[in-house]
Parts: sequence; structure tokens; C-alpha cells
Amino acid sequence: MAIVEVRNLYKSFSRGAEKIDVLMDLNLDVHEGEFISLMGPSGSGKTTLLNLIAGLDSPTEGSIVIGDQEISAMSESELARWRTRNVGFVFQFYNLLPVLTAYENVELPMLLLPMTGAERKKQVLNALELVGLGDRLTHRPGQLSGGQCQRVGIARAIVTDPTIVVADEPTGALDSKSADTAMSLLELLRSELGKTIIMVTHDPKAAERAQRTVHLDKGRIPANEMARQKATRVL
Amino acid sequence: MFPKAGGHRPPALPLQGDDVPPLSISHSLGIRMNPQMMPGMSVAPDFSLFTMAIYMAFGLMAIVLGATLLGTLTLPLFFATTFALEGVLLLFQRSGFLAIRVALMMFRSLRRNILRTSLTYVALFVFTFVLTLIYSIVAFLQSVQEEKQQDVKVIMTEKFQVPSQMPPRYTGDLIAVMKKELPLESQPKNFEDDVMTWGFVGGSLDPVNKTLENSLFMFAMEPHSLLTMMDDLGQKDMPGADYEKFQTAVQQLQQDKRNILVGKDKLATMGKSVGEEVKIYSMNYKDIVLECKIVGTFPDGRYNGSAVMRLDYLIAKLDDYKVQKGSVHPLAERCTNLVWVRLPNKQAYEQLAAIVNEPGKFNSPAVKMETASAGIGSFLDAYKDILFAVKYILMPSLAVIMALVVSITMTIAIRERRTEMAVLKVLGFPPRSVFWMIFGEGVLIGFLSGLICTWFVFGVVQVLFPGGIKFPIAFFGTFKLDWRILWLGPLLGAVAAALGTFMPAWNGCKVKASEVFSQVA
Repeated sequence: MAIVEVRNLYKSFSRGAEKIDVLMDLNLDVHEGEFISLMGPSGSGKTTLLNLIAGLDSPTEGSIVIGDQEISAMSESELARWRTRNVGFVFQFYNLLPVLTAYENVELPMLLLPMTGAERKKQVLNALELVGLGDRLTHRPGQLSGGQCQRVGIARAIVTDPTIVVADEPTGALDSKSADTAMSLLELLRSELGKTIIMVTHDPKAAERAQRTVHLDKGRIPANEMARQKATRVL
Repeated sequence: MFPKAGGHRPPALPLQGDDVPPLSISHSLGIRMNPQMMPGMSVAPDFSLFTMAIYMAFGLMAIVLGATLLGTLTLPLFFATTFALEGVLLLFQRSGFLAIRVALMMFRSLRRNILRTSLTYVALFVFTFVLTLIYSIVAFLQSVQEEKQQDVKVIMTEKFQVPSQMPPRYTGDLIAVMKKELPLESQPKNFEDDVMTWGFVGGSLDPVNKTLENSLFMFAMEPHSLLTMMDDLGQKDMPGADYEKFQTAVQQLQQDKRNILVGKDKLATMGKSVGEEVKIYSMNYKDIVLECKIVGTFPDGRYNGSAVMRLDYLIAKLDDYKVQKGSVHPLAERCTNLVWVRLPNKQAYEQLAAIVNEPGKFNSPAVKMETASAGIGSFLDAYKDILFAVKYILMPSLAVIMALVVSITMTIAIRERRTEMAVLKVLGFPPRSVFWMIFGEGVLIGFLSGLICTWFVFGVVQVLFPGGIKFPIAFFGTFKLDWRILWLGPLLGAVAAALGTFMPAWNGCKVKASEVFSQVA
């Protein structure tokens, strides 16, 4: 069952009088519990597609349905609320708040949810234990290594038990060992927690860890790629 | 009522040799004569608007430098306060309220770039300091002009001539008029205590080489009035021991008409001490030489540069002149410069003013009654343009500069933190939370700088000058910092910071997450 359905998606930006088409007539299905990677050259529209699926931006045309909700029709404030509950983000440069501790960074998205302090604490500790940082609760980002920061980022992404996890170049700023750890964690999220993961990457090694790789080129999924997708769906 | 400071522009004074050296309006109202302007000395330099502007610019610069130093010194206090407030918030951290977490992030952001936060704090401290100081001065000037309703001090001055030069009999005439024509309830409670005459006598210890050091300006007056009519010399104005000492000095003054009191600073500049006899060569009363004995001094404070002699001695010397020279001294009938009266209420003043104005009374020269506050108001009239500029141009300009400083700082801070704001929005934080976090940060610095500035300065002034700052500006009394600055300062800081932070905060909360991440990617 597809948890992410992208249909006839167009996204264009204006630069003065010039219109730049970034995504054109794009269709994509991602199944529940699937781990896919998006690859393609720079400017192919990977991050734009990721932003649209994550509800950070609205399409010019077409629809995006996540679960049973059409997010392409939502307003900005509706999207903000929806994101809190349904999307976990993993960024290339971690984007942790430097003034907060690891615990507080992970707790951040939960502050927006109606939960008791005890529930919140339990989930934060679980998430940090899962990424192996149960002993770094009071450390600030500046006191952690890049790999550890990314693990905090992953803990923050899953702490609200989201429907999908989106990751934008999660290994882009990491050394190979840390990158491997981060990818193992993402695999673990899929296999153990059944999370649906959509990852943008330039790293073929990271892409190999995904179940499926979707290649984008000039804002489209090439015809042969589409056929492969269909075949995958039939299988 | 004994002023000391110069600063007012006295009219040009004629040189020695004039029969009637007039006293300036500032003298009439009690400003101490600037010896450089005295007859017999060098030609008075022109105190132009340009000169005044230069003085003001240097004064403002000194204030700004002082405030900057003070602001820097109070930086630890500022950071300690933020730590303390953050500590309080931490107690409620586990409650999970979004507002508390946002506030905590706000406090921590202050320490993100300590140098920038410190500079913003110091800048706001300086502006709050300058603004509240100006406010205090303006409020002080307004308060001295406010009409009192009870125990009104009024002055008799010449109606058509400035400075007033009235005959000595006018004091007696005024008392007689009051006794005869004022209803009993409108009369001074005690004619002895509630009437005071002032004659101004400028003199030098050296008849030829007149310098700032050897010159002094004296008030010729009835000695007992020192205790009953003079500002800041009453029993309630000083510690008991000081008052007893001063009473003794006044008693000494009363014992011999040649006795004088001289302020401590003046004694020091003249190189004289209590007990010494001095010959004072009058500069405005030609050919009058006063042989005086210094019998005491004033309590420490605003009278340190002043001197008092007895009015009856001045009159006696003018009489001697007539005997010796065979003619009346040119100023003999013009030696009363001001007559002060304390009346029970404002109504009594109005009655007396009407009586004094009646034709046939006080004709040569004609006089008028005015309240002390009205007199001060007339004096300040000369400065009304400057005061207007201070109130309506300087103060708002400073407030705008203050807001701009905050705005620039916050804009820089937000530019650095665009990604963080985008992260918050990505995580689902509503724009208003992002707005309040930035806005609150600016307002917090503004509020704390205003609070620390005014409370610290007010506290220090209270400790150092418990009774107020006794610097004698003209006829003004003790200068006290207006207590309203205690709430005005923090409010001013917060409002200026709010104005300066609003737009940066608005721009910050409008950061588009996808654009930020596209740029990062």
C-alpha cells in the first residue's frame, strides 16, 4: 500500500520574469515501511521533491497524498501542524539548536504535542537510547562529534513517531564510519519500527542501503525508471 | 536661593567707573556673578549660542562616556540577572509549556554571542541613561515652576527694570502695606521670619588686581532670615549637629554688623579661614570698602561658594559715604535688589500683588509681586527654545537611535540564525513562537538595560547624595533624580527595543524553511 502518492506534480519557481520548471509531471509512489533514496545530478529537483513531500513547500500543480491526507491542498499553518505529527526530518548539517542540549533538541518537536512531561521524557530517552546516546543527554551540539550530532538529529526525527522520515543528504557531512552508523540507524528505523524513509543522497553507498533508488533528471523521473517502478509495484 | 553656577548669559556689564553698575537679571534672580563679568575687570567675553552649543556638546560627550563606563561596569550584573531569571524558568522547565521553552531558548541565545549582547546592552544602557537624565532635568525644571498652593514664597521686583534696584525703605513699606491692607488670614504668619531682603554686593580682596580667587559675591540680608527663609538651610534640611553649628554661625553674624559668613569653597579659593578679618573692595558699590570678619561658614553643599553679609552694614557704609563725600552714594537708594515674602497661600499672593499694583503705592520705582516659580519661569523663558529642542527633538532622536541600534543588532543576529528559525518552523513551531523568541530577546535586553541603568544609578545617587545633589544652579534647589525614572527607564528600554526588534522578528518568523534548506543543500 502506497503511503506517499505523488501525482502529476509540477513545481516551478520564478526568477524575475523567468520561470524555472524544477519538477515536471512527476509521479511517485512510496509504500509504507519502504526505504527509498532519491538520486540525481545537482538541480534535478531531488530536494524540491523532498520538501514537497515533507510539506515544506506547496506544488505548482498536481497532488501529494500522504496516508489519507492530501497535503498539497493544505494551508501553511495546516502543514505546520501536520508536519509535527507526521514527518521526521534528518538534515545534512544536523541543524540542531546550539543553545539546547541533546535532550532538549530531541524534546523540541514534542513540545508542540499534547503530552504529559513523563510521556515526553520517556519518548525522548527512548529515542536517544535507540541512537546510542543515552549518556549524552546534557551535551550541547558543540560538545558532540558530527556523527553524534547526526544521531541526535535522527532521534529528533523519530521522537514524535512520524508517518514518514525524510532525510536530505544525511551522510553528506559525515566521515565514512559515522555515515555507516547513520545509515544503519535509518535501516533500523525501517526494519524495527516500520518507518517509511525517503532519503536524498549523492552517495551511491548510502543509496545502496535503501530498498529502492529513484533517479531524477531535469525534474523528471526518466521513462525507464518509471517502468522499473511499475515493475516493482507489480512485484 | 544662593546660586553658584554660571551658564546664563548676563547682559554686558559696564566697566569700572560707571556710576550705576547694573546687575544682570541673573543676579536679580540670584545667580552668582561671574567675576570675569564684574566691573573693573576684563571685558566680558560674549557667551554666544555657539559657545553654549560647544559646552553642551562637550557635556553630552562626557555624559555618554561616563554612561558607557558605567554600562560596561554593570555588564556582570546584567548577565547575572539573566542567569537568575533563567534559573527561575528552569524550575518550570519540566512543565512542558511551549512558552517556557521558547523563553529559555531566548535566554540562552543571549549568551550565543556575548560580545554582541554586551555591546547591545551597553548601547541601550547609555541611551537610557542619557534619556532618563534629560527627563529628570526636564521634570526638575517643571517642578520648580509649579505653583505652590500653600506657604508661597513671593518676590517683589521692579516692574519696568531688570535688574531691580529698589530703595531700602521698600522692605519696610511692603511690611506696612501687608499689615495694613492684607486680611489677617492672608498676612505672613510672622513678619520677622517671613520677610527677607537681598542686596547683591560684589567685591574683591585686592583693590587693583582683581582675580577669580580674590573676588566674592555676597548677599546683603537680615541675618535671621538665613534660618527662616533660605532654601536648604532649615532644621529639616540637615543633620542636627550641622544645624546647631550653623545656628551658632548665624548668632555670630548677628553679634556684629561687620561679620560675614563665607562658604567653604570660597574660603579655600580666597585662602582665608574663619576668624580672619578681610577688607572687601566693592566692585558694584563704587568707593565702598567693607571691613569684615569671617565668623562662620555654611553647611556643606550648595552654599559652598556663597557669602552673606549684613544688610544694615551695607546701609551704614552707604551712610558713611554720604558723610565723608558730602553726597549720597549713587546706589544708596537702589541697594535693595529683591524682597522675599512667605505668604500662607496663593490667594494671599494674589491679594498682595493687587495691592502692590495699585496706583500711589510703590511708584518710584514701580514694582510687582511674583511667585518664585513664576520668577523661575521668566528666567527659563530665555531657554525655552533649548528646552523645546531637548524635549521634542533631542529626546525623540535619542529614542529613534536607540531603536535603530537594537534593530541593526537583531537583524545581524537573525541573519546568522535563519537556519535555526527554519528548523523550528520545519519542526512545526508556529511563526508566532519564532517571532516571540526573537522579539523577546531584544525586549529583554532593552528592559534589563533600562532597569539596571536607572535602578543602579538611582541607588548610587541615593547612597552618595541622600538629600539630593546639592549643586546650585541659579535659584534652583537640590537636584533629585525623579523617582519616576525607576519605571520609565525599563519601559523606555523595552519600548525602544520592541520598536527596533519588531521588523527583524517579523522577518525572522517569515523565514521560508524550504528556501533556507535549498540554500544549505
